[in-house]
Amino acid sequence: MQGTNMKIGYFCSMVPAEIITAAGLKPVWVKGKAGMTAAADAHLYPNMCPYIKSLFTDALEGGDTTYDGLVFARSCDGMRRLYDAWEAYIPSKFTYMLEAPKNVDQLAVAYFTSQLREFAVQMGKASGSEVTGPALKKAIQDANKTRGVMRDLYSLQKRSPLPVSGSELFSLGLEILQGNGNDAAGRVSSLYKKTAKSGGSGRGRKKIRIMIGGNVMDRPDLFQMIENAGAEVPIADLCTASRYFERVVDEHGGDGFVSLAEAYLGEPRCSRTAAPAEIYARISGNVKQYAVDGVVLTALKFCDQQLYDIPYLLRRLNGDGMPVLFIENDYVFSDRDRIRTRVEAFVEMLES
Amino acid sequence: MLKKYYTEMKNGLETAYQQKPRAWIKMNIQLASIMIDAFRDDAKIIWTSFYSFPMELLAAFDVVPFDFEIAANLLPVFNPDAAVEIMNKAEEAGYSTDICSYHRLAAGCSMLGYMPKGELLLSSSYFCDGKAKTNRLLADHYSRESISLDVPNKISRESVDYVAGQLRRIAGKIEEVTGQRFDLDCLRESIRVSNRSRRAYRQLAELQKVTPYPYIGVPVVNMSIFGNMLAGREIQEQIYLDMVEESRKKIMEGNLAQEKYRVLWLAWFPVQPTNINQIFRKNGVTVVMGELARNYWGEMDESLPFESLALWSLRNPYVGTIEQRLKGINEIIDEYKLDGVVHFSTDACRHSCAAQKMIGDALKERDIPYLVLDGDMSDKRKYSPDRTQLLLENFIEVMAGRK
Repeated sequence: MQGTNMKIGYFCSMVPAEIITAAGLKPVWVKGKAGMTAAADAHLYPNMCPYIKSLFTDALEGGDTTYDGLVFARSCDGMRRLYDAWEAYIPSKFTYMLEAPKNVDQLAVAYFTSQLREFAVQMGKASGSEVTGPALKKAIQDANKTRGVMRDLYSLQKRSPLPVSGSELFSLGLEILQGNGNDAAGRVSSLYKKTAKSGGSGRGRKKIRIMIGGNVMDRPDLFQMIENAGAEVPIADLCTASRYFERVVDEHGGDGFVSLAEAYLGEPRCSRTAAPAEIYARISGNVKQYAVDGVVLTALKFCDQQLYDIPYLLRRLNGDGMPVLFIENDYVFSDRDRIRTRVEAFVEMLES
Repeated sequence: MLKKYYTEMKNGLETAYQQKPRAWIKMNIQLASIMIDAFRDDAKIIWTSFYSFPMELLAAFDVVPFDFEIAANLLPVFNPDAAVEIMNKAEEAGYSTDICSYHRLAAGCSMLGYMPKGELLLSSSYFCDGKAKTNRLLADHYSRESISLDVPNKISRESVDYVAGQLRRIAGKIEEVTGQRFDLDCLRESIRVSNRSRRAYRQLAELQKVTPYPYIGVPVVNMSIFGNMLAGREIQEQIYLDMVEESRKKIMEGNLAQEKYRVLWLAWFPVQPTNINQIFRKNGVTVVMGELARNYWGEMDESLPFESLALWSLRNPYVGTIEQRLKGINEIIDEYKLDGVVHFSTDACRHSCAAQKMIGDALKERDIPYLVLDGDMSDKRKYSPDRTQLLLENFIEVMAGRK
C-alpha cells in the first residue's frame, strides 16, 4: 500500500489524525454500520462493546474495502481484542496498533511521544511520503483551526434559545471526524458568522436545556429524541462531540510529537484516563456554563470504562440537586421507542 | 466483618495444618494472615494487585499489601449468600450486573465499611480495565491516591523504560505515604529471594509433567493468582520447596491421582463452591497446569531491579496480542502432554471472553478439545451446577473419543 489521499480509518479519538494527515493520507473516524451483530457475537462475544461488534460485523460481511488502512489504539480491553480478531479473520491491507498510555503524567507523555514518532514512520512508509516537521506543523495548525471553529460554535450554544440545534451541531462535528473536514468546517464557519451576528441575550429562555454526557455516539437519535420532546441540547460531552473539539495542540512547541502527546493525553479526557472526580468536575462546569437543567448520561452497553463511573457520577450530580437520566445504549439505538419514552418522561419532569 | 471472617478462616486452616501439614494449607494461612494484618492499627497498608503487580517492590518496604479483589472474593468461598447480599448493595448504588462480580463485591464491601483504608492504592492496567477502574473509584471513596501501573502491549526499550520509570515513581510515593526510606539494596535482596522462589517453583512445574501428575492442579492455578503476594519474601520459597517435597514423596510412594485426562485451565478458577472438582475426580480428569501458573517470566537481574520488574509485567500472557497468549498455551499443551483445554468464562471478563474463538480455532487446528465453561467467579446467581455438569461431561466424552 502506497500513495497519498488514501483513506486511513481509526476508531478511537486517542489516535492523532494530524500524523495521518502529515503523511499525506486522509484520516477517517470509522462509523459502524451494522445493527445486527450476530457475526461479531460469534467471533468476539455477545457481552462486548456494541460499537466494536458493529465494526467487526461490517468487516466480516464486506472486508475493509472502504479503507486503505486501519489504525487501532490500546484504548480498552475491547479494542485490543478487536485488533487481534481483525488480524486473525479479516484480510487487511494495512493495520497498526498505536500504544496509547493509560496514565497521563510526564512519563506517559514521554512514552506516548516515542510511540507517535514510530507511528509517523509507519504512516510515512504507508504513503511513501515521510512525515516531516513542517508537514506535521501544518497538519496540527489545520486540525486546530477546524476544531477551533467548532469550539467557537459551541461557545455560542451558551445562548438561549440555541442558535444551532444540538443535533445539527453534532452532525456537523461527525462530518469533520469522518473526513469531510474542509467542507464541514467551511459550513461551520459560515454558520458561526451568521449566528454570532444574530446575537442572543440569554433572556427569554423557553426550552429545557439538557446536556448529554457519554462516550462514543455517531447517530443523532438521542439528540433528536430530546429535541422532539421539546427540549434542547446545548452541549454534548462525548468522544465524538464537544470533548473532541475542545482539544488544542500547541502549534509553537519545538517538537510536534511532544505537543501531540501532551494534547491527546491532556484534558478533556474520557473515562479511560480521567478520574471520576475529573469527569464530574467537567460535567458540573458545563452545567453552569451552558445553563443546563438536566443531564442525560449515556454509555455503550458493556463499556466497563464508563459503566464503572456511572454510580459515582449519579451520586455526585444528584447530590448537587441536578436531575440525571442514565441510558445504556446498544450503539444503534435499536430500542429507541423505550428510550424515547424515558427521555419524554425526563423532559416532562424537568418542565414541571 | 471481613477481619472476623479472615480470623475464622485462619483458625480453621491452622487446625487443618496441625492435622495434615501441607504446603497448600500453609500458603492459605499466609493469605489469611496478610488479610488480618491489614486491619492492624499500626500497619502501613498498600492496596495492590497480588497477581498483576510486581510484589518484590512492596517486599522492599515494611508494609502490608492488600488486594481488594482477593480480599472481597474470599467471602464466597465459604459464604456465597453473604457475598450476593453485598453485591446487591453495589447494584442498588448503580453498579450494573454486567460488571464483574469481583468488582461489585469489592465495591459493596467498601460501601459497607468492611475494607481497611490503605495509605496508597496501587493497581495495574493489564488483565482488565475493571480492576484499575475499581481501584480508582475506591481511592476516591477513601480520599487516597490511586496509581495504576500502565503496562504497554509490547516489549521494547521504550516500554521497559516507561514501566521501570513508573515503578521508581511508585517507590517514591510509598516512601512519601509511609515515611519509610526506600533502600535499593532491599529491593535487590527481594529480587534475589524471588529468583530463588522461581527456581523452586520451576521444580514444581517440572514435576507436574509426570504422568499421573503429582500435585493438585487447582491449587496450582489458584497459586498463580494469589501466590505472587509473597514474591520477594523467604516464605514463598519455603512453601514452593515444601510442595516440591510433597510431590516427590507422592511419586516415590506411587500415591498419585487416578488420571485419565490431563487438562489445561485457562483464566481463573471460580472461588465460589462449585461441582467442578467433584466431576473431575469422578471422571479421572486432572487440571495439570494453568496458563498463568507457568513460569513465564524468567530470571530477574538484580543489578537492574526496576527494569527486571518491568519485564516481569510486560511478559505476562495477558499483556500483548493474542498471539503471545496462544504461543504460551501451545507450549504448555506440548510440555505437559495435555488432552484438552477448559476455558472458564465469566461473561464480564471481556478481554478473555473475546479471545475464545481465536483460542478455539487455534486448538481446533491441533485437534485439541476445547471447552468454554460459562459461569461466574463469585456470583452464585450466575452459576449453574447442572449446566456445568452437562458441559463437562460432554467435554469428557469428546476427550474420551480422542484417546
